[in-house]
Amino acid sequence: MDYTISSVAPIVLLPFFAFVINAFLARKGGKATVAAVFLACASIAGSSIYALKIFKDFVFGNYAADYYIHKVFTWFDLNGGGQEFAVNMGIYIDNMTAVMLVMVTVVATMIHIFSTYYMHHDMNYGRNGRFFVYMSLFTSAMLGLVLSDNLFSVFIFWELMGFCSYSLIGHYYEKEKTGNASIKAFMTTRIGDVFFLLGIVALWTHIGSVSFVDLYAAIANGAFSGVTVLGIPLATFCAVCIFLGTIGKSAQFPLNVWLPDAMNGPTPCSALIHAATMVAAGVYLSLRIYPLIELGNLNYFVACIGGITALGAATIALVQTDFKAVLAFSTISQLGYMVLGVGVGSYNAAFMHLITHAIFKACLFLAAGSVIHSLHDHHTHEHVQEMPRMGGLRHKMKFTWFAMWCCTLAIAGVPFFSGFVSKDRILGDALVMATHSPKWIIPTALGFIGAFLTAFYMCRMMFLAFHGKPRDKEVYDHCHEEHFSWNRNLPLLFLSVFTLGIWFSGSLTGQGVVKVADAHHGKYEWFQTLIQKPVVSKFTTMQREDFSGMDTRVKNSAEKSHYDHNHGLNEEEAHHVHHVHKIGAIASIFIALGGIFVAAMMYLWNKWNPGFWVNTFNRYYRTLQNKYYMDDLYIKGFIQGLLIPFNNLLSRFDMGFYDKYVVDGWAVVVRYLMNVSKWFDNLFVDTIMVDGTGASVRFFNVILRTIQSGKIQFYIIMIILVIFGYILAL
Amino acid sequence: MFLNIMFLLAAGATIGGSFLTATSKNLMHACIYLLLTLFGVSGLYATLGADFLAATQLVVYAGGVVILMLFAIMLTGGVREFVNKFGIDKVASMGTVKTYSIAGFMVVIMSFVIMKILAPIFKSYAPGELPGFSTTVEKIGTLLITDHVLAFEISSILLLGALVGAAVISRPGRTR
Amino acid sequence: MISLPSYLIISFCLFIAGLTVMIARKNIIAMLLGIELILNAAALNFAAYTRFINQNLDGHLMSLFIIVIAAAEAAVGLAIVIRFFQIKESIHIDDATELQS
Repeated sequence: MDYTISSVAPIVLLPFFAFVINAFLARKGGKATVAAVFLACASIAGSSIYALKIFKDFVFGNYAADYYIHKVFTWFDLNGGGQEFAVNMGIYIDNMTAVMLVMVTVVATMIHIFSTYYMHHDMNYGRNGRFFVYMSLFTSAMLGLVLSDNLFSVFIFWELMGFCSYSLIGHYYEKEKTGNASIKAFMTTRIGDVFFLLGIVALWTHIGSVSFVDLYAAIANGAFSGVTVLGIPLATFCAVCIFLGTIGKSAQFPLNVWLPDAMNGPTPCSALIHAATMVAAGVYLSLRIYPLIELGNLNYFVACIGGITALGAATIALVQTDFKAVLAFSTISQLGYMVLGVGVGSYNAAFMHLITHAIFKACLFLAAGSVIHSLHDHHTHEHVQEMPRMGGLRHKMKFTWFAMWCCTLAIAGVPFFSGFVSKDRILGDALVMATHSPKWIIPTALGFIGAFLTAFYMCRMMFLAFHGKPRDKEVYDHCHEEHFSWNRNLPLLFLSVFTLGIWFSGSLTGQGVVKVADAHHGKYEWFQTLIQKPVVSKFTTMQREDFSGMDTRVKNSAEKSHYDHNHGLNEEEAHHVHHVHKIGAIASIFIALGGIFVAAMMYLWNKWNPGFWVNTFNRYYRTLQNKYYMDDLYIKGFIQGLLIPFNNLLSRFDMGFYDKYVVDGWAVVVRYLMNVSKWFDNLFVDTIMVDGTGASVRFFNVILRTIQSGKIQFYIIMIILVIFGYILAL
Repeated sequence: MFLNIMFLLAAGATIGGSFLTATSKNLMHACIYLLLTLFGVSGLYATLGADFLAATQLVVYAGGVVILMLFAIMLTGGVREFVNKFGIDKVASMGTVKTYSIAGFMVVIMSFVIMKILAPIFKSYAPGELPGFSTTVEKIGTLLITDHVLAFEISSILLLGALVGAAVISRPGRTR
Repeated sequence: MISLPSYLIISFCLFIAGLTVMIARKNIIAMLLGIELILNAAALNFAAYTRFINQNLDGHLMSLFIIVIAAAEAAVGLAIVIRFFQIKESIHIDDATELQS
């Protein structure tokens, strides 16, 4: 299959053109806004069609773990054609890209459809379609990031998504806390982005290229060995810096403070951006530069960060009472799992968890939006989001209840659901690493405890909201019965269908059962085979070559690898891994069921009293409620303690010194020069040239005036003299 | 010989007259000296053999132009001293030595001119023989009509213009 | 003894005298006298050249025309002088400075 840019570019360009058109069209209001909304949904649906086509080609056609397509054009070349410091933009599609494209486009399409229901009443589709404008821009940016082949364009789309996130979080900008939340989100991710850019630049300086392909080639060719930056090996430095971008964007441990506040945005925006795609972009980036992380010996660090995030967010989620806040912290926690997976080395499982999490988290958010939308407080005229005021909603909202349970079971890690497949595989690989060396026990333990807590709090949320007796009678009575409406319920059901594990893996442990049969490869797992770590040795010949005048190059790997039953390990190691995975799977099952059981005991059957636990760990409870005081640390510690005094110092310097001396002093100098110029002007120009001209004219006039005396005899004398002079001259 | 003497006389009259015209204070005297100069020039013409020219000079210049000048001087009251010198209360003398000498000089010259012109008449001619002297009159007349007829005609128009112009310019009754 | 240069000298003297009269005297009519002297000098010059150089009487004709022109010019000039006197009540040359800048 010969891909040209034109068969791939519509994926990014369709939503982008929708954005451009809607930017003008949607503001008009009335029918124009309806057309704009329709255009937005249609564009993302069109992108999904192209993405599905690519997916079909990759999965059912050129099936190979390292098959990729790479098309490139030169954006700018600082060396004037020598490709030494060139930045080449292009698309890079491999199996991971294909799957990610499908996930992003399909989920985004579902969310767009849901948004037509959700945003319908918010002043005509989100303040005259502004919501959809930003959503289109966001989807085009996300798709561009997925398709991009080099770190520069990743960064460009990264920042673009950050801007869209800022705009969408601040959708209800009249509320002050919303504005603060959007700025907080942007600034926090910005901190990560600074380091990300630093990493890109360091990489570019030493390798001369920022393309992924060239990065892999450089790793294979040993360009990183022995090179240090500030005493740190280059690979570690670059990997840390780029990973800091992931920490910022994917809300990992130090920079996770923005995600809970991002819930101030509309729920579909939370579904798309802060559950499925943008926060997944950080993990996607880490997966792309995974060889660099490996080379820089950063695995343990990454795993620890992931584990801390997973467990920390899970603990905070235990005590939240806001419906969406629970989901937000659960997102942070699951992102921690993905990063843990990256750190542990289970490339495939981390990516699978990314995909599955996107699906069920998006569904959860949409369902939550549906619930919140239906609950209306007549006193404050706002929607009810607090769980203490809900309860017993399953009678009123059957479809939502069903969809939410599917996704909750998935996230809790119940077998036969997609979440179990991916999370279990991560934990299994973590366990494998733990058996190799003791220091890996810590992330593993964090992961397992987090899994238990995940099951617990998610089921707690479900029981509090949907089961039991209604706690707020008024709210319950005013809640409408849910009818099936195509743009609300269809996306939910569609997404909840894909929470089943059978789509991703055919077996309990995800090893060895047929999903796709192919004549060449026999029986194998499609997802597990499709997505594998980039083998850098295969890229050695693919590095920068002379373009010889052409500005596009196509690199197809025609090699199709065989399905490796043992995933590159020898027989004994593979058996060991298999064994540990079995243990891990059983442990996960027990943990998940245990968590559900505890939650049911506490909240469904009300046998155990959660208040007991609250009182026992009261101080810890309050710490959790304050999110480990991280917000306070940032606000009081950094901003008020460091940044604002620094800012005051700078402003004092600026106003006191710079303004007073440099700027005003310059004004004094200019005024002095003006006086000099005035003197010069008066003397030379006015007196000498202007007046002098007049004076000289007058002087000569006096002399020359005598020629025209009017005296005839004078004229006669002159005539005679001239004639005599003429005769003499002859 | 005769020619030399006449030349000297005429030359002397011309130069002397011109010098005196230039230097005399009295305007009337200057006119008279001009007259003397014109007589001298006429004599010079005679010595050159330009008989017609000499005669025309006497008639037009001495008889016309100078008289005109004198009239103009008197009309414009040009010479104030004239009234003082030869006033009504004084008996106008017939002239001084100067004037008589000037007049005599002029007569001499004129006579010389005429004699020169008429010189061939004093020869005796046999009956039937035409006087053989040749005057330039005939030649000049022929030239005027044949070779220089254009100048002749234009000068006639010029004279007409001068006549009309002089009359128009000095016409009395023209207001300022 | 009578030769061309002698007539030329006489003509020259007449010219100088006429020039002197024109420049030196302050009476307009006196200036006209000077003009006449100059014209006569020119005519004498023409006549002298006819006698000694060119015998075809063109010089005589030129002198004739000079006389004619001089007469016409004297008439018109004096008319102007009379007009000038009627306007300015003076025939002093320095009163005729209308063209003075």
